[in-house]
Amino acid sequence: MKWIHMYALLVRASIRSRMQYKFNFWFSSIMAAIINVVEFLMLAVILLKFGHIKGWSLAEAGYLYAVLSLSKALYRMFASDVHHLEKYLVTGSLDSLLLRPVPVLLALMSQNFSIKFGELIQGIAILAFSMGTMMQTGQITWTALPLTVIVILSGSVLLFAIGLLTATAGFWITRIEELQNITEDAARTAAQYPMSIYPKWLQGLLISVIPVGFANYMPSLYILRHEAGIWLVGLSILVALALFTIALRAWKIGLARYQSTGS
Amino acid sequence: MLFLTLARKMYLSNLQYRSAHLVHNIASALFGLIYVSVWTGIGEGRSLGEYGLNGIISYVAFNQASLWIAAFLNNGLGMEQSVRTGQIALDLVRPVHLFYQLMSKEWGQIAYQFVYKFLPIYALYFFVLPLHVPSSVITYVWTAVALTLAAYISICLNYIIGAAALWTTESRWLYWVNYAFSMLLSGFLIPIEWLPPWLAAISRASFYPFLHYVPTRIYLGMESPSALAGSLFWCALFTVVCLAVTGMMRRKVEVQGG
Repeated sequence: MKWIHMYALLVRASIRSRMQYKFNFWFSSIMAAIINVVEFLMLAVILLKFGHIKGWSLAEAGYLYAVLSLSKALYRMFASDVHHLEKYLVTGSLDSLLLRPVPVLLALMSQNFSIKFGELIQGIAILAFSMGTMMQTGQITWTALPLTVIVILSGSVLLFAIGLLTATAGFWITRIEELQNITEDAARTAAQYPMSIYPKWLQGLLISVIPVGFANYMPSLYILRHEAGIWLVGLSILVALALFTIALRAWKIGLARYQSTGS
Repeated sequence: MLFLTLARKMYLSNLQYRSAHLVHNIASALFGLIYVSVWTGIGEGRSLGEYGLNGIISYVAFNQASLWIAAFLNNGLGMEQSVRTGQIALDLVRPVHLFYQLMSKEWGQIAYQFVYKFLPIYALYFFVLPLHVPSSVITYVWTAVALTLAAYISICLNYIIGAAALWTTESRWLYWVNYAFSMLLSGFLIPIEWLPPWLAAISRASFYPFLHYVPTRIYLGMESPSALAGSLFWCALFTVVCLAVTGMMRRKVEVQGG
């Protein structure tokens, strides 16, 4: 409880410092929204022209996309600088976080907190459109709604875990940007599309080595297409929690190895 | 010669990070495979117009490799950084035109990326994908010309984005917005004729097609080299704009207090 209170305090401080540059904040929010819209537009243009991709309609593909981008927005909001650990390792500024009377991870998570308005609004809009369409055709019912919320939350834990594991590697190799490009950016981009379009080896990779498939595709098989059973959702949560536990363990080991840079 | 010296230095400084860049190529190649998979999925049971399935795979794959020549340059040619540090004032008083300086450096960057990014990714796709390979040397020559002009347009574009930092301090966002629009309007993922009519109209009225669509179609033998007249037109126009912008910059420089 004490840590949550601390975290909230640090986040508030972070927001205050950010709001010193109001124009910059709003401008970057709007730009982020535009970039996200354009990204989705590419998929929408293809599906509007060709109807479906391997049997996945625009509404279904939109659902996959929206769930993932909402999970990502939550992860990046609440654990923002975990993704930017490299900067701290290279400049040695992690030292100042080590001195604080809070766990280093919590301090890192609260640095540069920003509300991802652009991503949130865009994600919710696409989700509303997709789910609305599917409800009209009777493909899903209202019960899909709470399940979707659960999936988004569990997905954000999963993305956080993947991000944390990647960041932790930084204690050994320092430069992690290239690694992040693979485990976070490429893997997430892959999960934006229905996984059945990929060759088998890539599908296997996305549900085992970098299990980002459990953030949206696997639970959606049950929620949207009523395949297998509700245990798919349970399994997704389990995978997220398991990976998160492993990531925390690894983080502890990594942090113990930390050596500051000389300058 | 100044041009060669600057370009060579840039090339050599990149060489220090060669192994990290090669790891990065894995991610870049993966992105391309994702896009290829999207079209393979779409192409199942459908004919894909004049391209056909293999054609569209080659189209997307070649675009992915050529990103490293025509799109991924230094953000604003590094000007955002030099505005923040105040270095920009020094760069402007040098006895060489700022545009020429930065452009020369960037050609070094592009040469490096051609060798260590374009070629490895292209080679990988050559082995794992049904990648179309031109049968005549002339096609290679025209593709190279098209990509060179695309790179020049991209340099100018980044020069203008970087120059904006003098007014806004930050130009990173402009870089990413340009990138997002370029993905959609340059025909990077979707050939322009398949865009909705209003988007296609915007695209055709802009310089974006000359970054990806035209070079790649020349590579695939679907476009005649005469399309490059458009590239030349935009190159000339951008050069004029860049020179004009430099004139404005000279009067605008404010060194940040620190």
